[in-house]
Amino acid sequence: MKTFTFTAATPDGNVFQGEAVRVIVRGTEGDLAVLAGHIPFVTGVKPCKCRILLPDGTEKTGNVEGGILTVSPEAVTLLAGSFKYEES
Amino acid sequence: MSENIKQLKTRIKSVDSTLHLTKAMGLVASSKIRKATERMMKGRQYEAAIEQMIGTLASSPECKNSPFLAVRDTKRTRLVVVAGDRGLAGGYNANVFRLAREWEDAEVTAIGKRAVDRFGGEIIYAEKFTYDQANAMAKTFCEDYAAGKYDRLGILCTRYVNVMTQEAYIRWLFPLQKDELARAHSVVFEPDENTILNTAIYEYVAGTLVAAVRESFASEVAARRTAMDSAGKNAQEMIDNLQLEYNRARQSSITSEITEIVAGSGL
Repeated sequence: MKTFTFTAATPDGNVFQGEAVRVIVRGTEGDLAVLAGHIPFVTGVKPCKCRILLPDGTEKTGNVEGGILTVSPEAVTLLAGSFKYEES
Repeated sequence: MSENIKQLKTRIKSVDSTLHLTKAMGLVASSKIRKATERMMKGRQYEAAIEQMIGTLASSPECKNSPFLAVRDTKRTRLVVVAGDRGLAGGYNANVFRLAREWEDAEVTAIGKRAVDRFGGEIIYAEKFTYDQANAMAKTFCEDYAAGKYDRLGILCTRYVNVMTQEAYIRWLFPLQKDELARAHSVVFEPDENTILNTAIYEYVAGTLVAAVRESFASEVAARRTAMDSAGKNAQEMIDNLQLEYNRARQSSITSEITEIVAGSGL
């Protein structure tokens, strides 16, 4: 499975930084999933549940207050006002 | 003679109470250092991420018409001056104000009680600076810049190099610096580049403000600890010297007393 570097940054530091297989968020135009090799892309993010699929098959879910998602060839970054992990 | 002894005693007492004070302040500062640097590191991470994103946005051809990228004649400068809430932090506040003197005609927004005392405005404590406060400030700054009320925005803050070294510097925010190294690849924007840039710019200013204030606060406590350490050492040295002088004076008064008694007894 191809992976990419994903960073979830909030004013309280990077809550997630590492390899991910897939990231799902709710963009301003609708839900979207980012996979490795996505085209360069920038979108606003609405308050939503962010789901991060890790290379080992587990999934992390967090509540995002809203922010901006940047996809560049090098890295994928989610800038959020707040990001709180959900208890699994 | 006895008057001199009394004077010395009072001085020792007063230096001793200063020593207690510096010790206590040093301890308070050291206990705050860990938390402050931790918060600073977190702020730095966010700042780095946001800077990278702004770099991508600024170098993308779609955004080149934004008012935030336009370089104007830099006549009117606005500065956010970040200083400490309290004094007794060595050269920390003085260094900030010295740099601020070079920008006398700049419009100043002050953060930190000392800066507010000097430049006026509403009291904003550097220690308790919140993201919401930063957001509110960012909004005004962005709106005013877009309306052309000023041409350049900078944050005068202190860079935390390590516990011993901190230096005041100005971090320029507007006009946005293009990231020359970022490869200009065509980027897809959703919904469109202006909406994104306008949202991102608030985050950028607010995030940088928070990071700058946190870094300055970490510098303040580090500077205070170093200053209190050396003040404590000086006080201890002073007490030692005074104590020596006091002992000598006491001894000589005893000696002279004995001499007087012996002389008076007529032996």
